[in-house]
Amino acid sequence: MKFTKARALVLIAFSVPLAIELRTVAGFFNVELPLIAVAVIEFLFLALLFVLYGLYGEGSESPA
Amino acid sequence: MATTRSDRAFVDKFPHEAAIVKATFLVAFVALGIGAFFGLIQALHRTNVLRVIESADYYTMLTGHGVLLAIVFTIFFLCGVFHWAVARSLNRPAESRLFSWAWVGLMTTGTVLTTVAILGGLVPNLGMSADVLFTFYAPLQAHPLFYIGLAMFIVGTWLAGADWFLSYRAWRANNSGERIPLQTFMVLTTMIMWYVSTIGVAVSVVFFLIPWSLGLIESVNPLLTRTLFWYFGHPIVYFWLMPAYLMWYTVLPKLAGGRLFSDPLARVVFLLFLLLSTPVGIHHQYLDPGIAEGFKFIAMTNTMFLLLPSLLTAFTVVASMEHGARQRGGKGYVRWLGALPWRDPAFTGMALAGAMFAAGGFSGMINAGMNINYLIHNTLWVPGHFHLTVGTAVALTMMAGSYWLVPQVTGTKLYSRPIGLLQVIMWFVGMVFMSNAMHRAGLAGIPRRTAEPQYQNFEFLTPIGSIFELRVQIALGGTLLFLSVVLFLFNILLTSLGDESDRPVDAALPEPLSGPEGSPRILDNLAMWTGIAALLVILAYTLPLAGIIQNGGGLFGGGLPVPATLSAGLDFVVVTVSSAFNTLLGVIA
Repeated sequence: MKFTKARALVLIAFSVPLAIELRTVAGFFNVELPLIAVAVIEFLFLALLFVLYGLYGEGSESPA
Repeated sequence: MATTRSDRAFVDKFPHEAAIVKATFLVAFVALGIGAFFGLIQALHRTNVLRVIESADYYTMLTGHGVLLAIVFTIFFLCGVFHWAVARSLNRPAESRLFSWAWVGLMTTGTVLTTVAILGGLVPNLGMSADVLFTFYAPLQAHPLFYIGLAMFIVGTWLAGADWFLSYRAWRANNSGERIPLQTFMVLTTMIMWYVSTIGVAVSVVFFLIPWSLGLIESVNPLLTRTLFWYFGHPIVYFWLMPAYLMWYTVLPKLAGGRLFSDPLARVVFLLFLLLSTPVGIHHQYLDPGIAEGFKFIAMTNTMFLLLPSLLTAFTVVASMEHGARQRGGKGYVRWLGALPWRDPAFTGMALAGAMFAAGGFSGMINAGMNINYLIHNTLWVPGHFHLTVGTAVALTMMAGSYWLVPQVTGTKLYSRPIGLLQVIMWFVGMVFMSNAMHRAGLAGIPRRTAEPQYQNFEFLTPIGSIFELRVQIALGGTLLFLSVVLFLFNILLTSLGDESDRPVDAALPEPLSGPEGSPRILDNLAMWTGIAALLVILAYTLPLAGIIQNGGGLFGGGLPVPATLSAGLDFVVVTVSSAFNTLLGVIA
């Protein structure tokens, strides 16, 4: 199954509510997560997706 | 055997019905564009990011936004979908083209009059305004044109329903032993629910609000007009949702590559909505002192029952999608999700709309709970909730469905699938930002329907994050949503202007995995279900309305409302019935 642009877009879309609510979930465990931390986590997730797309995406050679 | 386009395309098989659908979609999309623009102005204004209007004009924009999107866009679009669904599933054109154009014309004229009355508020010298918001009950008063336009619009929807019932009657004459085709069954049950529920708003507008706005009567009973509005105001939610459900049940499984899981379950869901949608409106009035707590408790209980058909829908639609994914080679407990056709904006939009509806359902449970509702009543939480339900589950499904339906009625291919995909994703992300912040702001106590929720010497507090972040989130979300609408309208415009195609879209809908054959025939007894729905409404509303009329100074108000109790309402009914009975006995004697 190829890692398509459409799947990448949908994954990015679903990552947004998770990132937004990350601080609330952390708050349940008395962890005060600053906004910048959430932004960094989301950025790292996007970077990971970008790498995975490069490795296994539509234009790549490797079978995924 | 080769198949010609005439065998497939709706526009070739039913050209006149396609013209009706195009006309309704056109009005819907114009309303969507204007309403979305008003929404952007509001989002930027109330967050204090950019204020291009006076705060007094905010309420004109808010009324325009609510009426154009929640009434005009949704209902015109669903009329188009229903007209398509009835002709397609009964495989016959409408009985009278003139009659079909009559309801389109009446609804459009009503829309124009109402919109003129609203926009008149932006021109001070005109002496016309209708800043009464989407919830147009007293004591806020609009120009008579607003109410007259709304009345014409509602009558237009009644005629549209009559059009579909006439088609069904003609079909039934030639198919006496057949089960009602599923899509037609969905349309008819929805319209019965709409007939039952619009009685309230019709009475309110025709007997109270129009005479009051014309100066024919001096006053109205505000609580009575509120209650009559909410008698209609909650079922209208299901009038929006049931066409979305129609698409989730009958179109989404096909787009996923599979078939509907269960036809009988879909019928049960629509019947439950018919029965339970109307006798729950009082749950919007938990803080109204003129209604006894007992009636509110009954409304809350009925509302919780309404969760059942939505949960049944979640199960059936997800099961149908999983079936589709497995037909496409999907494996595993979760990995099958990856086999779904995420490239298709029609599928992705509907799937994302369904996912957001789950979140909207959870926040709706908070609204529906009598005691916890006090925490969020009239706060920004409530717009956060309905932007997930009507603003996403319904609106996003309608936009996504357009990518599949518009090519069928125009005979042209969709202009751009990538733009469509980007559009539905942008709507999802924009709504996540905006509605999440609205919910959280509501928990902090920030009010709704307010142009400037920033007060001197007072700061709202949030347990996590800051109010500033929430404002930025709302402004960002509103901007993304507006851009998404622009992309949508651009894509649809270029689609409709495109060259005709031999095969604009694969329009065939497969049979369900479990058909209607094994289910009880009583499910199709629409007269019986209508009777039960009417009975439930009578049971739910007789005593509260009696109490409101008695305690609020009569039908036309004038007295000071007093807190109501169950026994007072009951006493009023007993006294009224007894005196009527005694009068009758006197006449007979």
